Formats: sequence, structure tokens, C-alpha cells
Amino acid sequence: MASSHGVARTIRIRTPAQREADKQKIAVYRDLDSRLLALNASPYPSPAFADPSVLALTAEVLSRNPEHYTAWNVRRRCLTCGSFSRHSPGPSPSAPPGTSWAPTTPSPSSAASSPSSSAVTRPDPASQCPPPSGPSGTRPDPAIDPATDPATDPATDPDKTLRSELQFTFPLIRANPKCYWIWNYRLWLLQQAINLLPAPVARRIWEEELGLVGMMLNKDQRNFHAWGYRRHVVSNLESPALAGASMAEAEFAYTQQKISSGLSNFSAWHYRGRLIPQLLTERGAGDAERRAFLDDEFSLIRRALDVGPEDQSCWYYHQFLVSNITSASSRLAIAPNLPSADEVSILRHEVEYIKDLLEDYDEDIKLAFEALIDHILAIARLEDRETTAEERGELATLLAKLRASDPMRKGRWDAFEKDIGLSPSR
Amino acid sequence: MTGHAEKLPEELKLVTAAHVKYIQSLDTKEDEYDYWLTEHLRLNGVYWGLNALHLLGHPDALPRDKTIEFVLSCQHPSGGFSAAPGHDAHMLPTLYAIQILVMLDALDVLEQRGAGKVQVGQFVADLQNRATGTFAGDEFGEEDTRFLYAALNALSLLGLLSLVDVDKAVEHVVSCVNFDGGYGVSPGAESHAGQVFTCVAALSIAGRLDLVDADKLGRWLSERQIAGGGLNGRPEKKEDVCYSWWVLSSLAMIGRTHWIDREQLIGFILRCQDSELGGIADRPGDMVDVWHTVFGVSGLSLLNYPGLEPVDPVYCMPKASIDRVMGR
Repeated sequence: MASSHGVARTIRIRTPAQREADKQKIAVYRDLDSRLLALNASPYPSPAFADPSVLALTAEVLSRNPEHYTAWNVRRRCLTCGSFSRHSPGPSPSAPPGTSWAPTTPSPSSAASSPSSSAVTRPDPASQCPPPSGPSGTRPDPAIDPATDPATDPATDPDKTLRSELQFTFPLIRANPKCYWIWNYRLWLLQQAINLLPAPVARRIWEEELGLVGMMLNKDQRNFHAWGYRRHVVSNLESPALAGASMAEAEFAYTQQKISSGLSNFSAWHYRGRLIPQLLTERGAGDAERRAFLDDEFSLIRRALDVGPEDQSCWYYHQFLVSNITSASSRLAIAPNLPSADEVSILRHEVEYIKDLLEDYDEDIKLAFEALIDHILAIARLEDRETTAEERGELATLLAKLRASDPMRKGRWDAFEKDIGLSPSR
Repeated sequence: MTGHAEKLPEELKLVTAAHVKYIQSLDTKEDEYDYWLTEHLRLNGVYWGLNALHLLGHPDALPRDKTIEFVLSCQHPSGGFSAAPGHDAHMLPTLYAIQILVMLDALDVLEQRGAGKVQVGQFVADLQNRATGTFAGDEFGEEDTRFLYAALNALSLLGLLSLVDVDKAVEHVVSCVNFDGGYGVSPGAESHAGQVFTCVAALSIAGRLDLVDADKLGRWLSERQIAGGGLNGRPEKKEDVCYSWWVLSSLAMIGRTHWIDREQLIGFILRCQDSELGGIADRPGDMVDVWHTVFGVSGLSLLNYPGLEPVDPVYCMPKASIDRVMGR
């Protein structure tokens, strides 16, 4: 493997029988792979990609090797030239059987405009594609053979194709939850749903996808791909293309549920923090409501810290809440118009809480020492004054505790000490 | 399963000769199924192996001509490179191809026998989303700060940064920053050490490290070191050798490698070696691979481990190669 994670090291001595078995496996795989790559060398778009046997070939390769990115691309090309190529119902009567067309090579300038952060506005790749043709290379006449009319043939119905494609990738993504290519392929399929299907049908497919992401996050609460994917799915479900509306409330509730089942799930805390500004805007929250919201969040994180006082995830969320008070960035603001006296009193309250927490625990909690330092400095800054002699004494004590409990980061404590010493007001 | 971890010698040393042999052996495993299953990473693997060999002081351990031939065999008329002949061109193998040629001091072959430097640069530049500044990996449009970094890295090595909108790219990186000082894969995404590396390195190439809140980011990065000396990529996650590179190089770019414990990290990386057969694993006792090998060796180089060539923290390449190509 090019990159193996968590696989125990073993001495691998193959028996002659195993070697023979490997040889067979390699021969089968190489044959599939070389057929796939040979086909990929043919001009695109071309009727060759619409042949159902090619789709089957990619499936053979991908089920053995879901990391084969070119096979995923070939699969996209198959669909783009096959059942996704029909963008208006029914065949075009102006296309005579055996119509030939010149393959178009996208120019560099047209490629420049294709990558787009807004999946909704991405040009439809299917529009570049020719109509599907029969295995002989000519199009069947729908008047003669209605069974193969693309308008009624299930094999070319984009809705059915999409669903069968999503089904195809499902076991692969379950077995390989960290494989970028499968996630990307699914997103591409979902984008095709928007491009090719009526909005309500496409919306149902995207809603089901949210269910899948939920399932993946139940299996692995921190799966980075799955969280990113979730944000993408949600933003599409919220978009006008899917006749959507904000899902901030539902997603906020989702983070609550994830946090309840695992306090150290920082991915959920992160998402929660990101949702709050949007949520409050949508609620039309006034200053009082915002203040109450902030208080509630502080209560929530304090309850979490009571359970996991050494958990970095909880302390980071605490830091995030505090940064809403101490940082000027309005992007983060939960309660942007707090009077500065209130800001100070909130911080003082947190200082008391953290000191109590330290008393309740026998062990040193280095993250609590750090938080106290942050709070003391922030209070002085909010009050627009130098730190007092008493505060400086407290800072020195805390720093000594940090040095003792966390010698790994000695260099940081040195830099920090110099920093406070040089400018006591900060 | 054997208990390799328990068999480690008292005094840990970098087993350079074994690592060189391990990397050389990678292209001889054609009778193993995995060799074929990883063909889509072949060019990437050459970069990882060659870079490790340079840092280990054995730059000639892979045949130069054969390596150049292989790189050229992966180029497409578009200028882009695929990871193996016949596969599709993509941003990442395109970067790796350029990096390999720079290490071999062979960029000229692009003009002599390839599609030309400008064509390669155009392939990369065409993947920029001009509206947001970020980059896609290929024509299918997956966007990620990894590709933004790869693009700036590749173009700066070619001297063709002017082909893209660097200011827009910088704007995009800034939009990916989180309250903790770290960066995510896209705006709104959780901070991740790998993504921090790509974003900080991209800013470094753009000459905009002034936009990084170094104290805040340094604090987050230094907290990635956990008991045992290894580094993780996000809060409350397991340690892994690859983060020895991503976290440490980011700390290096903001001048704060001394914010973590050097000796402990060295110990962790060395414990991940297969001291008999060479190669480095993600964690002690696990299977080695060339990917963890290069990041382990690069990490050791950044830590000034004796006997290693200095690595450039922005490019993950020998500093000497970067100095040469940049005319420093």
C-alpha cells in the first residue's frame, strides 16, 4: 500500500500456493486495468463510452480498487455519453441514424471556467455529449424499436441510473470511508441530479444523501470527509436549485445530538460554532436574546468541562465562546453589542468557574491554567489598563504550573513569559 | 505478527541504509498484488521516494534517466501529468512531476521533450476558480486548499506564478481560517494540520505570511504533540508520523519549531521505523510505506537530525534543490 494507517507490521512469507493465487489476481486485474485505460485513450466524447460493457468494466476495476481515480472518471464519461446525455425528453428527430460528429476537445480557456465553488452554477458536462448510440455505433430508430427509446428505456432513465450509481458506490464508501474519490464521485452524481431531474426528484435524492452522511458519522464521529460532505449536502439542500430553505436550526440540533453522544467530538463543536451566527440572524434575535444564547452556550460547555476537564475539544469550544467577547471580528459575534461591563463580568464569572474546577480536581489541568491566563489578560485589555501587581503574580504562578505540568511546550512558555514581561499591559 | 516494537534497540538511530534499500525495492514488487493496486499513485510515489533519498544523502539511489523517462511518459498533451501512463492528468501528479524534475535538475526536458513549461503552467492555471481564487484538482472540479497549494508550489517552481490570480488565491486562504488560528479544507471547515500546512505554505509562496496569526496558530499547532512525543492532526485524535511533517513544517514557517519537544518527536519517529527492513510507519509496530517514510525523514530533517540534508519547509523538497531552482 502506498499509505497504510493502523495496519500491524507482519513478516509476510507467501507459500507457493499464495504466490500462484497472487499471480492469478494480478493477471485478472491487469487485464481489466489495461482494457479500461485503452478505452480511456479514445477520443472523448465518443460513442465508445456509451457502451454498457464499459460501465461494467469500470465496476470490475473499482470493486477491486476504489482508489483508481481514472476509473471513476471513465465512469463519469460513460454516463455523460450514455443515460445522462439526454437533456430533453425523447430523442431528437433531426438526428438521423449513424450521425457522426466531431469530438470536441475543451480548450484551456473553457476549462478555466469550469471549476467553480458553486456546484449549482457549474456548466453541465452532459451538454457536451453526443446522443447515445446502439452497440453497432448507430442509433436505433425509436419508431421501430420503442423498447430502446431513451425516453422509456430504464437503462437510459437518468433518475434510475442515478439511483443505481449511488447504490453501486454505497458498499465501496462503507468499506473505504476515507477514500476521496468515492465521495467526489457521489457529489458529481448528486450534481447531475440537479442538472437532469425535476427539482422535487433531485431534492429527494439529496435528502437521502444527508441520511447516508449521518450514518457515516455514526460509524466514525470525526470523519473529516463526512463532515465536509455534510456541509456541502446541506448547502445544496438549502439552495434555490433544490427549492430549499435554511437548515440551520435542524443542523444546530444535530450538533447537540452528536455532542451528547461524545463530548470530545470537536468536529461537532466546530460545526456548532459555525452555525450560531446564521441561526441568530435567522431568528431575528435582539441583543437580550443573543446574550441569553451566549449564557446558555457557556452553561453547556461548563457542563461538558465538568465531565471532561482534560478534554481539548471542550476547552477549544470554551475558547471559541470567549473569543466572541475578546475578538473584534464580527464574523464570530454571538452577542456583538454586549456592554463592556457585561463582557468583563462574564469573563470574571468564567475565572471563578475554572478556579472551582481546579479545586474539585486533584490533578493539574494544564488547559485550565492556560484558560485562566487568557482570561486575566483579556480582562485587563477590556478594562483598558495594565495588569495589576496581583494579576502579574497570579500569571507568574500559573506559568510556573504550566512549566511543571507541561514541559513538552517549554519553548512556548519561554516565549510567553518574555511576551508578558515585555509588555505587561497585554 | 511479530513484536517488532519490542525489538527496537536501546539507542535509537536512523537506519539510513535500510531506508535507502527499502525505497529502492519499491519498484521491484511486481509480483505483489498491491504493487498493481497502487499504480494510480506511481508518480506520487517516485516523488516521495526520491525526496526521502535526497534528504537521506543518497540522491543517486534511483536511476536518473529511467526516472525522467517515467515522468515524461505520464505527461498529457494538455501539459498536465497523470500518476501513471494512461491515467488521467490531475493537479497532484503534475506537481509531483515538476518536483521530481527539479530535484533531478532536469526541468529542461519539459522544453526539449515534453509539452513545454508554459503548457504545464497553463494546465495548472486553468484549474483556478477565478471567482473565488481556489483551485480544482481536475476537470471534475473538486476544490480543496490542497490543490491551491499544489498550484502555487508548481507554478513558483516553473517561474510562472503570473499565470494565476495570486491575490485571489490568498483571499481564499484567508477565508479558510478558524478562530483557533488553523485552516480548513474550505471556508467553514474544521482546522486540520494537513490543511494548515497547505494554507501557510501557500501564503508563504505568495509572500503573505504576514496574514497568519502566528501566536494563535503556533499555540494550536504545538498542542498537536501528545504523550509519547508524536503529533496528531486535530484535537483528541491519535498521533501519526505524517503530522511530523505537516505540523512541524507549519511551525517552521512561522518560526516556532521550538514550541514542541524536539527530542520526544525524534524518538517517536525513530520508533516508527522498521529497523531491519527499512521504511517508516504511521505508528510504532505498524506496516511501513513510502509516504510515511518521506514525512518521517522530512520531519527529522527539520529537527536537524544529524546526517540529513536540510529540507525546505514550504516545498517539502531538499533546500539545495529549491535554492538552485530559485537562483538563490
